[in-house]
Amino acid sequence: MIDVRHVRKEFADVEAVKDVSLHIQRGSIYGLLGSNGAGKTTLLKMMAGIYKQDSGEIFVGGEPIFENTTMKQKLIFLPDALYFFPQTTIWQMAQFYKDVYPSWNEERFWRLQDVFPIDVHKKIHRMSKGMQRQAAFWLAFSAMPEVLILDEPLDGLDAVMRQKVKNLLVQDVAERNMTVVISSHNLREVEDLCDHIGILHKGEIIVEKELDDLKADVHKIQVAFRGGVPTAFLTGLHVVYQEQRGSVLLCIVRGQKERVESYIHQFEPVIFDVLPLTLEEIFVYEMGGIGYAIENIVV
Amino acid sequence: MPSKILSYNRSIFVQNLRNVGWIGIVHLLVLLAVIPLRIVMAYTNRKWNYSPNWNNVFEISHVFQGMVVFTIPVLLAIFLFRYMQVKRSADYMHSLPLRRESLFFQHMVFGILMLIVPIAFTALLTAVLCNMLPLDNILFSTADVIRWTAEMFLMELFVFSASVWVGMFTGISVLQGAFAYILFLFPAGISVLVLMNMKYLLSGFAADYYLSANLERIVPFFRFIELAQRSLTIQEIISYAAFIVLCCGLSIWLYKKRHSEAANQALAFSVLQPVFLFGVAFCFMLLGGLYFGETQRSIGWILFGYVAFSLIGFYVAEAIIEKTWRVFHKWKGYVAFVAVMLIVGGLLHLDVTGYEKRQPALGDIQRVYFGESVYGFEQQDKRGYVAYVQPDQFLQTKSNIKNVYLFHRQLIEDRPMMVVPSTDTRQVVIGYELKNGEKLIRTYSIPFQPYKHFYQSIMESTEYKKNYYLLLHDRGVSPIRQVTIRTRYPFEKTVVIADSKQIEAFVSVLKTELERETVDEMMGPTNEWGSIELLQSDGDQIQLSWKKSYSQLEIWLNQQGLLSKARVTADDIQYAIIVKNEERKPLHELTSDSQFQQQLPTRTDVLRITDKKQLEECLQKTTPSKDTSLYIIAFYRTDQSAPAWSVFEENHLPSFIRNQLP
Repeated sequence: MIDVRHVRKEFADVEAVKDVSLHIQRGSIYGLLGSNGAGKTTLLKMMAGIYKQDSGEIFVGGEPIFENTTMKQKLIFLPDALYFFPQTTIWQMAQFYKDVYPSWNEERFWRLQDVFPIDVHKKIHRMSKGMQRQAAFWLAFSAMPEVLILDEPLDGLDAVMRQKVKNLLVQDVAERNMTVVISSHNLREVEDLCDHIGILHKGEIIVEKELDDLKADVHKIQVAFRGGVPTAFLTGLHVVYQEQRGSVLLCIVRGQKERVESYIHQFEPVIFDVLPLTLEEIFVYEMGGIGYAIENIVV
Repeated sequence: MPSKILSYNRSIFVQNLRNVGWIGIVHLLVLLAVIPLRIVMAYTNRKWNYSPNWNNVFEISHVFQGMVVFTIPVLLAIFLFRYMQVKRSADYMHSLPLRRESLFFQHMVFGILMLIVPIAFTALLTAVLCNMLPLDNILFSTADVIRWTAEMFLMELFVFSASVWVGMFTGISVLQGAFAYILFLFPAGISVLVLMNMKYLLSGFAADYYLSANLERIVPFFRFIELAQRSLTIQEIISYAAFIVLCCGLSIWLYKKRHSEAANQALAFSVLQPVFLFGVAFCFMLLGGLYFGETQRSIGWILFGYVAFSLIGFYVAEAIIEKTWRVFHKWKGYVAFVAVMLIVGGLLHLDVTGYEKRQPALGDIQRVYFGESVYGFEQQDKRGYVAYVQPDQFLQTKSNIKNVYLFHRQLIEDRPMMVVPSTDTRQVVIGYELKNGEKLIRTYSIPFQPYKHFYQSIMESTEYKKNYYLLLHDRGVSPIRQVTIRTRYPFEKTVVIADSKQIEAFVSVLKTELERETVDEMMGPTNEWGSIELLQSDGDQIQLSWKKSYSQLEIWLNQQGLLSKARVTADDIQYAIIVKNEERKPLHELTSDSQFQQQLPTRTDVLRITDKKQLEECLQKTTPSKDTSLYIIAFYRTDQSAPAWSVFEENHLPSFIRNQLP
């Protein structure tokens, strides 16, 4: 649905996004992770057709997005700093969306009032930050976009509302095959939501993975052998991390689970366990060298 | 699809109406207050109050109308396009499924409505009022109201589109407003700055000549004020309309090029940064040169002005771009600026274009212009009045063309620049009209004395004299009916000659005096007895000064027994006291000092004269004008107790005074 090819963007001699390529499938929820200043917002705004990339191409639904009204009618971008017309009410904003987005669903708008307990005639500027964000989601969901791009969307929402919004998102993805891009500096926040993850660090994508793949690929194992670790043992494994705890060797290895298991069994270990691995750990070990970026994201 | 487009338009229109509709209302209210309300006010007060005649709608509080035209559209442009200048709204508006062209178009159309609707409504009301109310002072018709509507709309649209256009260059609304006003003043301002500074760099550059070409015409505000007197010409209408179209076209083009992230940045296009930086530094530099050039008239001060002001300008521009005042580390660009300016200034000063040395071949010259001011060069024939004394004139005789040419050649050689003004400084303007129709003009400020012989050859020529004095013109003076000779303070006397024979004799003596007058008397500080007023048969007058150097005239007056009636003579004076003013106090301070006055006759360090011959010599040689002279004389008259004060210039001091009071 979204195809970013070798995109570059510079602000006043600072390269915010450097040669980024990524592909987001229709109906997936893509988590764009990165520490502050990694270039997430810039990348998202380019995907939304707000910024024009200095070089490279961005296609949404197969068409270049910049100044493309047909595609932009099907795309909604929710920035981290929300904007509403001055002194407007939710109802007035809804009228505006109705005019601007052909897919606007009036019925859904009124139905969603159950989810968002806000008076539609209240001026948005008088609302709290969290309520403003609810209003933004309300409007966005009612516009029934094909693509929803969310920049740090869950900031300022309470836990209940967060869950409601997440449910709505998942529901729309499941029912309408909506494509969602979510940026966050916190992996845990979106872990349960995303099916794809991309990590942006200093303007570059350093990892792009399907979450299921990721989990299938890395394993935390602890093994112990009679008479110490055989010398050949480690050479046949792709070890990302290892630690000797007494006689037990704890290590994180990459590779297909079955192959790793059968390989280890050859050495007849005394103890052999495959331990659960959190997404955090996967990233930390996966990334190793680029530690800083990852640690900040997963905390 | 059309309904789609309509719905987009409606949605943006509604938002604009909510956000900036108030400007339209304010616009309407001020217009109503300026015109229809004034008419109603004049109507209710028509019995007992004076109100001026209104020949057209612009005459009704026209300055206030000007203020409306030059504020409301600027405000409108700022507020209407404010969405581009604020980060959040810029991002939001550009995330909407609307192309930039259509956003721009919708905002422009809305803005135009906010301008035209109040104007049209006001015009309608005005037309109704002036047809309904029987007011004597309304001298305009419905056609004038229509003219007002059209011109008002054109001017407001001009201001609006210009303000929108400059808004594309910046991401800060305040700067948009500032740039708009700068734009309106820029063409005139930069012309003045460049021309005046050229004068400092190039010897002979006739800045005044170029500046005389009605620069205020290209300041739109002044042109608007002038609408009360003068409608827009077709040419002007076309230029304003073309400018509006150009502004709109460029605005769309720039808007499409402009990044959303330009919001909140001083300059929306980074390529403009050096242009802005060096442009501001350059303008400030010229301003500094102008200020110190006009106040100090020395090349040192001008250079100081260039350096100091360009530094300030560079710093200000840098601070605006960076949006902080702490930009002291960004000095490298300034070094480049200085280097470029040194080269440009140096080349100009070295006169690489040959401007200073340019002089037509003697044979190509049709006639020469010689005078003190540039204005006659273009407008000699259009002058609305006849001057009694005309120093600016065209000369055609071969000898005078050659004399002026030689004078100019000497000036080219001497390159006079930056003369500190003194009583000896003269402005000389030399212009050529060539046989092929080309023109060339130069002006110089020069000391008189070193160039006296050049002046002499020109100004003492018959041709020059005839043009110089109206009285000597071949034609143009009607028979003289009466001569009045007046002397002024401190010895007021008046004599009237009405006898035709006497008049004829007087005029012929006066003409001889004028004809043989030397250049010193023409150009030097005039030392005169008083004035001569010649009344012509057609009622016009000629005023001339009665210079002390007119000895023939004096003899003639004496023969006629008129001298003592016309001016003070030694017979009127009892005695005089001459005192040295060592402290060089201004004369008016001494004369108001009563102690000084009382002690004067008893002081021993003064010179007292009673000899009639010496008194006469003193009268001839004193000048009343110069204030801080070394020698002061008090004339004590027979009929008055208070003395009359005068001073001597040192080069005209009678020798007996110098001997006795060294």
